[in-house]
Amino acid sequence: MEDEELGGRLGAARILSRGVQEAPRLREGFARTMLYAVIGAAGRVVIPITVQQGIDHGFTSAGVRMGFVTTLCAIAGGAVIIGTLAQRAAVLRLGRRSEGALYDLRVRVIRHIHQLSLADHTEERRGALVARVTSDVETLAEFFSWGGLAWLLDGALMLIVAAVMLSYDWLLALIAFGVALPLVWVLRVVQTHLGKAYDKARSRNAELLGSITEVVTGAESLRAYKAGHIMAGRTKVVARQRGDAFVRAGTIGAFLFPSGEVFSALTVAAVVGVGVLRGTAGGLTAGALVGFVFLTYRFLEPIAEFTEVLDQTQTAVAGMRRLLGILDLPIGPPQPTSPKALPAGPLSIHVNDVTFRYRSRGEVDDDEPVLIGVSAKIPPGQQVALVGSTGSGKTTLGRLLARFADPLAGQVVLGGVPLTHVDNTELRSRLVVVPQEPFLFDDTIAANLGFASPGTSLAELEHAVTALDLDDWLASMPDGLQTQVGERGMQLSAGERQLVALLRASVADPDVLILDEATSSVDALTEVRMARALERLAQGRTTIAIAHRLSTAMRADRVLVLEHGRLIEDGPHDQLVEAGGRYAELFSAWVSSTSTGTDEA
Amino acid sequence: MSGGNQASTRARRDRWRSAALLIRDLVRIHPRPFFIAVSGSSVFALCTVASAVVLRWIIDHVIDPRLRQGTVAVGTVVIGLGLVIAVGVIRAAGVVVRRTWAGIAHWRIAETLTGQVVDRLVAQPVSWYQRRPSGDLAARGGVDVDASVDVLSPLPFATGVVLLVFVSSMWMLLIDVPLGLFAVAIFPVLIAINITYQHRVDRHYTAAQGHLGDLSAAVHESFEGVQVVKAFGAEARETERLSVIAGRLRESRTSAVLLKGSFDALLDSIPALANVALVLLGAYRIRSGDITIGDLASMIYMFTLLVFPLRLIGFALSALPHSLAGWNRVREVLDEPLEADPELGVAVAADGVGVAFAGVSYEFEAGRAVLSGVDVSVVRGGTTALVGTTGSGKTTLLRLAAGLIGPSSGTVSTVPGTRTIVLQEAFLLGASLRDNIAFGGDFGDDEIWTALDTAEGRDFVEDLPRQLDTEVGERGVSLSGGQRQRVALARALVRRPALLLMDDTTSALDPSTEARVVARLRAALTDATVLMVASRPSTIALADQVVFLNDTTIEATGTHIELLATNDTYRSIMEAFELDRSDPDAVGAPVIGPGSVTGGAT
Repeated sequence: MEDEELGGRLGAARILSRGVQEAPRLREGFARTMLYAVIGAAGRVVIPITVQQGIDHGFTSAGVRMGFVTTLCAIAGGAVIIGTLAQRAAVLRLGRRSEGALYDLRVRVIRHIHQLSLADHTEERRGALVARVTSDVETLAEFFSWGGLAWLLDGALMLIVAAVMLSYDWLLALIAFGVALPLVWVLRVVQTHLGKAYDKARSRNAELLGSITEVVTGAESLRAYKAGHIMAGRTKVVARQRGDAFVRAGTIGAFLFPSGEVFSALTVAAVVGVGVLRGTAGGLTAGALVGFVFLTYRFLEPIAEFTEVLDQTQTAVAGMRRLLGILDLPIGPPQPTSPKALPAGPLSIHVNDVTFRYRSRGEVDDDEPVLIGVSAKIPPGQQVALVGSTGSGKTTLGRLLARFADPLAGQVVLGGVPLTHVDNTELRSRLVVVPQEPFLFDDTIAANLGFASPGTSLAELEHAVTALDLDDWLASMPDGLQTQVGERGMQLSAGERQLVALLRASVADPDVLILDEATSSVDALTEVRMARALERLAQGRTTIAIAHRLSTAMRADRVLVLEHGRLIEDGPHDQLVEAGGRYAELFSAWVSSTSTGTDEA
Repeated sequence: MSGGNQASTRARRDRWRSAALLIRDLVRIHPRPFFIAVSGSSVFALCTVASAVVLRWIIDHVIDPRLRQGTVAVGTVVIGLGLVIAVGVIRAAGVVVRRTWAGIAHWRIAETLTGQVVDRLVAQPVSWYQRRPSGDLAARGGVDVDASVDVLSPLPFATGVVLLVFVSSMWMLLIDVPLGLFAVAIFPVLIAINITYQHRVDRHYTAAQGHLGDLSAAVHESFEGVQVVKAFGAEARETERLSVIAGRLRESRTSAVLLKGSFDALLDSIPALANVALVLLGAYRIRSGDITIGDLASMIYMFTLLVFPLRLIGFALSALPHSLAGWNRVREVLDEPLEADPELGVAVAADGVGVAFAGVSYEFEAGRAVLSGVDVSVVRGGTTALVGTTGSGKTTLLRLAAGLIGPSSGTVSTVPGTRTIVLQEAFLLGASLRDNIAFGGDFGDDEIWTALDTAEGRDFVEDLPRQLDTEVGERGVSLSGGQRQRVALARALVRRPALLLMDDTTSALDPSTEARVVARLRAALTDATVLMVASRPSTIALADQVVFLNDTTIEATGTHIELLATNDTYRSIMEAFELDRSDPDAVGAPVIGPGSVTGGAT
């Protein structure tokens, strides 16, 4: 929904033309598809014409002209077959093209989303991003398999039916159109109410599913307080409300199709009435009048469908608009046009007067810069800890060092080369980030480690485990490297996920390591393993740790203290404690709160 | 070969049998609306045939006399047109009745089933839930119920179609036997093609549905892990991986579309060609004087009307496998016997004892001991801290004491009176704060405020504009973690428990608030026994007694200071904690206030 702001001002026609532009496959051979559709539609008026011809020229008052009827039926049979084949060709062509176009579009959107900067990948937006690739493309898929087809085939059919009617008797044709006209209005009204009723029913449905989920997730509390019946009662009320909402929507919907029936009865009555009243004066024949009755059904059938198609078209246009909104978002830090190679070996990092502010979106105007004029020169191989409270900018600085975003002013220079001039692939192979909540894919430990460097052999992975002194941990895993980690790695403890992330980083063998330390609690054994692994991993690499525990800062060569986006202190731990500034304050508070509590609370 | 055939015949027969049973069981729940819908559908079917009869009458008595012979009585015209409109309106009314009451039957039956499933869910004890994934259970009361009921929606219409086919066949045979036979012979062909088509296209649609599920799971995972993807420069690799899945989706979709296009052509052209043949055959019958032009035209018309309803027969059948699967899952919940309530197995502890475990073991499943041979008793009226590493069995011990689960062996006994447990993840209803604290009990506002006071929750509730009437939103989303925990604690306290069990309940509070809550609890609950899982050294130090669990059993008991001095493992855990949970933000936040984790309702 939030993405609509981008494409929101574009009208439906603009959206459609942009959509075709983004999925050019749709345009391929469209004229021919259209031609087949028209021939197919012509095939569907063969029967009314045959009946008319038969009555007027075959079954004359003088007797049945068998020769004429035989020829008529031969032609009609041929026309039906040609029409059917043409319609089939049109459907198949549209189907192939649209499925191909949707595939292209999906891949384009996925690629684009992957390239968006991390600032666009917030947790709140994730569902929306996934929805772009799945449900929004699905609205288009539904449109093409039904609505798009209806526009093509029924549109052609209505035009041809109208043409045949007019050629039989223009007055009766106009009467038929005139009587049928209010149907369009009736259907629109019903459709509008129906849409609202279904929206309501769908939200009631979501409430019910939420309520049932509460029953299950809250089972323990409900049982402990013997409150199960209360929750069951609440759920039943919601179930009733959902039923009511769907019944209401269903009742409105029940009038949609039958109103077409009533109108066709009225139209037939009007046409026959006027036709009979006027008699043969206007050149009307019995066959033409019977043909009219048949054609009326052919003409009104699509109208009923069109109201639904119109609705579906709106949904599809809205889906397309959201897709375009994503494609219009600028992608993350751009690739350099003429990249410069990084020097070999450990790399220095120079932060030169960096200022950064997150792009504001929507009404919330967060003008406040997150980093203001930060400068620091980090020599190759140094172990640095970034310290500061939430909102101090330490995580953001880590992101800029990793070039997940570019600073607004100033620059980050890696090994003497400004980050904006480093090729992305080279950067990722030389600099690795271990995030705070490391993400694991629902696969084996081996697969997760291999993600860092595809093609790494199992032996190499085992070697990496040994190198970080984690053999004992791996031995405790049920299937060693082949252990499944579960969705988001949930089969492992938080600490174990960290271990896998450290291993993964070591498989990439970077020269710079940026570590966003975890805040979650870890048991003692894992804690020891982690500290040991980290120490080995950091060896010989420039390491920046975004420290949440001051114990990490204690071990670092150098501490950078950030507050409100400014670098306020810079130096080794001992020196900063002695200086008695902000860091000393943080450190003494930390010491007292984590003491084992033998003397104070 | 023949054995295999027999087996598949039996399987098919079984499936039909279970489908019939499913329909019977569902219709029984609310038969009235269902049969009203069937009647509406029958009216529709009869009027469809009637509209062809009327057309015949109009051609023979109005159109033919007027346009070929020159005259017709005005009265005849009026009757004819009146019949056209009347039949059209009644036919439409039949549809309205059928659709409305089919909907009523569908949703009322779903509502009843959901109620039954939910009643069953809340009747099962916690032990029953432990072996079942919660997402799966929730699905059974929701989407599975809907899936089973889906089988009903097309039934009234399908019944009408069967009636329509039967009556129209009779009518056509009555008009003319040779022409009628020819027309009637086409029906089974159309039905067979429809069923074949539905069967074949369903395979592709099912495959496509599966691929779409795979794609959204993969896309979700890839976007969720985007930081890792970017950290290793794997954007192109990931796009490639996802596009393979999208490609599979495209393939099954395309196959379905191509199949649909071909079958549509077949299903459109067969009736059309049959109509052409009817004109030719009809010419002979008209020449011999056996039928009139009206007879022929109305038969052709009848055929045109039948094409669409016949298509729905195949569609109705396609819902079957899906519904049967859903129904089986619903039945699993409804038919499973209720497990014995473990609470009945909790004994009364001896005088002076708050909680006692005697030889208690608990196995989650055979061979996976969570607790083994636990022997420990805690003093009545005191505060005891339960300490241990992840997976040492602390939560299980609390659940046993609460009577939520029963031990595999051994006995659990507790002080008589009210037991309340406060879980680590506070569960809040989407209701008012008052309802969430009373939680089905009958308590006055005074009692609720007193409980909030002890739980250190008064301040933040007083700051809320609607105070106790504040709606907390689904699962309490509008409150912070610490606020939710304090509401859950107040819920336990308002019941004046003799035994209060807390599973790391105060973990979302900052250390100083946590210490204050524990101190207040001790002051307010002078008679109550408190057993709490705790991890912060500062909190543990406040307990009268510490029970230290390690590796599924009790390693030591004593005071915090004693254990620090005597037990190395205990000391190392306490020290690890020191390294561990000390985000400088939380440090030194002296009072509750905006900006801190436990901040007020700003």
